[in-house]
Amino acid sequence: MKIRGRRIVPGRVAGDVLASPVPFSFVGGADPVTGKILDPSTGVADERLAGRIFAFPHGKGSTVGSYVIYGLAKREVAPAGIVNASAEGIVAVGAILAGIPMVDRIDTAGLRTGDRISLDGDRGTVELPGVRATPVVTAVLRNRGRILIVRRSEKVGSFRGRWSAISGHLEGREDPKARAVQEVREETGLRNLLFRAAGAPILARHNQTMYVVHPFLFDVASRRVRLDWENVEHRWVRPAEELDRFQTVPRLKDVVAAVLH
Amino acid sequence: MQILLALGSLSEAERLVRITSAHVSGASYKMIGDPGLEFLEDFARDARVAVPTTVNPLGTDLAQWKELGIPPDFAEKQARIARAYATMGFRPSFSCTPYLIGVRPGLGEHVAWAESNAVCFANSVLGARTNREGGPSALAAAIVGATPEYGLHTDEGRKPTTVVRVTTKPRGSDFSLIGLVAGERVGEGLPYFRGFHGSEEDLKWLGAALASSGSCGMFHLDGVTPEARRAPTKGLRSMTITRRDLVAAKRSYTDGDEADVIALGSPQLSEHEVREVAHRVERTPPRIPVWVFTSRTVRDANLEAVGIIERHGGRVLADTCLEVTLLEHRFGTVATPSGKGAYYLPSLCKQRVILDDIERLLERYA
Repeated sequence: MKIRGRRIVPGRVAGDVLASPVPFSFVGGADPVTGKILDPSTGVADERLAGRIFAFPHGKGSTVGSYVIYGLAKREVAPAGIVNASAEGIVAVGAILAGIPMVDRIDTAGLRTGDRISLDGDRGTVELPGVRATPVVTAVLRNRGRILIVRRSEKVGSFRGRWSAISGHLEGREDPKARAVQEVREETGLRNLLFRAAGAPILARHNQTMYVVHPFLFDVASRRVRLDWENVEHRWVRPAEELDRFQTVPRLKDVVAAVLH
Repeated sequence: MQILLALGSLSEAERLVRITSAHVSGASYKMIGDPGLEFLEDFARDARVAVPTTVNPLGTDLAQWKELGIPPDFAEKQARIARAYATMGFRPSFSCTPYLIGVRPGLGEHVAWAESNAVCFANSVLGARTNREGGPSALAAAIVGATPEYGLHTDEGRKPTTVVRVTTKPRGSDFSLIGLVAGERVGEGLPYFRGFHGSEEDLKWLGAALASSGSCGMFHLDGVTPEARRAPTKGLRSMTITRRDLVAAKRSYTDGDEADVIALGSPQLSEHEVREVAHRVERTPPRIPVWVFTSRTVRDANLEAVGIIERHGGRVLADTCLEVTLLEHRFGTVATPSGKGAYYLPSLCKQRVILDDIERLLERYA
């Protein structure tokens, strides 16, 4: 699959991903001489940056980080490419000084350490040859501060028994929002949806499948829900407090957060 | 140029604007280490500044490092950093207060300054326009002579976000305390202060603290700062800072019991402040050292005051400042009236802090 982001530094490169789920500071986060990761919160401490495509949400910390990236490149222990969810000045300037191809606006949580990917800094894309993209829509329904979650039945194709918001596959060139409205009608019987927000796609990884989730938020006037065969029970929950108690489909919390604030 | 264009597109700036001056941070070897030194020396082979540019403080006083017990390796690398900047055409100011040594951009003038206290002063007190640049972006702006136009360069970006009413009459280190409290509360916002007045020096301390505990690059002060009158405040969120808040802040930023040194800087002291310290020290001689940080320009022009302070066991250091200097090997607990100092010393220098007025500190350690 190919993911479209934004180009930051030109150049094309292929390599293995080194992924950190948390923002990264090059000052203190990596050894400036060896390029070894020092920050344990990344989950990849002791791994080396050299030749890898380093994926993390965004940079943080001192602006000296730009100089650290430059120094790593000079010693030939810098990452071969950088992917961010949202680029900021420190890492972008470092990548420019070091000539490291870089792309942002890619949900880095969809990439895993060890993935083989191609990064195209000219076009602003990332390609994962071994991974199949499955576009889906997720509709978060809200009524007086609570959102609807449903437990998936044993008859559906994936994530049976897990809690989810209202979801469905997106076919061909279908309009995601129209599909979301359709899914809500079929799975809950609710009508008169008031559209509130659409979020940037969230990448939810399941083995070699990448669910590209298009999140939507609708307000609904009623909590009276009529489930179809796809789900077996439903709850109206307070998203901030209660979501953690349920066994959900991957990244439901991030999908909800993408449209709720 | 590539750096500026990339930063411009990250911030969705539509164009670059010409600047009349730049001020770069990232000159202390303690802060930028070998990666910074290496980059600057490489860069200095070709790069030359296009506009008058000043540089932030170094990690030690270049003239007094031996007496300070600075390791020769540190001093040597520090001198190389200073040389690299000089080669690129920077004015060797080594000061965090360019506005006290003659660099005073006027109302509406675009500049590219790093060093958060200088940014806050330039925007708020002078009415010049700069974003909070980092070392590398200010360096790029200095070489190109331009900076991306967004944020505090635009009228929109200079509008206040919060009204902060101060109900107590501040004096001395109260200005630092107001800055610390307001910064914590407004975070990335732009505060519009009401209810007090202050001199340029007072506002320097306020801005430095505000830009430390918050990431503010500017404030307005009703009836004092040049853009306050036209700043729209209608319908803004409002908050109040009372004497009780200031007392609580002083307590929360104080974690030391007995000071080893009274340190005055962060930002560097003005000529007037250096003379005042000399006067106070003469009147109330302290039993612990008083270290004063100022610019080389101010030190050289006030040798009489310097003599008084040093005769009373103190030191007046130039080229460097409180947190970026190497002093943690000498003193464990630092007493200071600086809010910015109190904010950074525990993390950057692993030191304990006593935050209080200069008068109170001199009395306590008389």
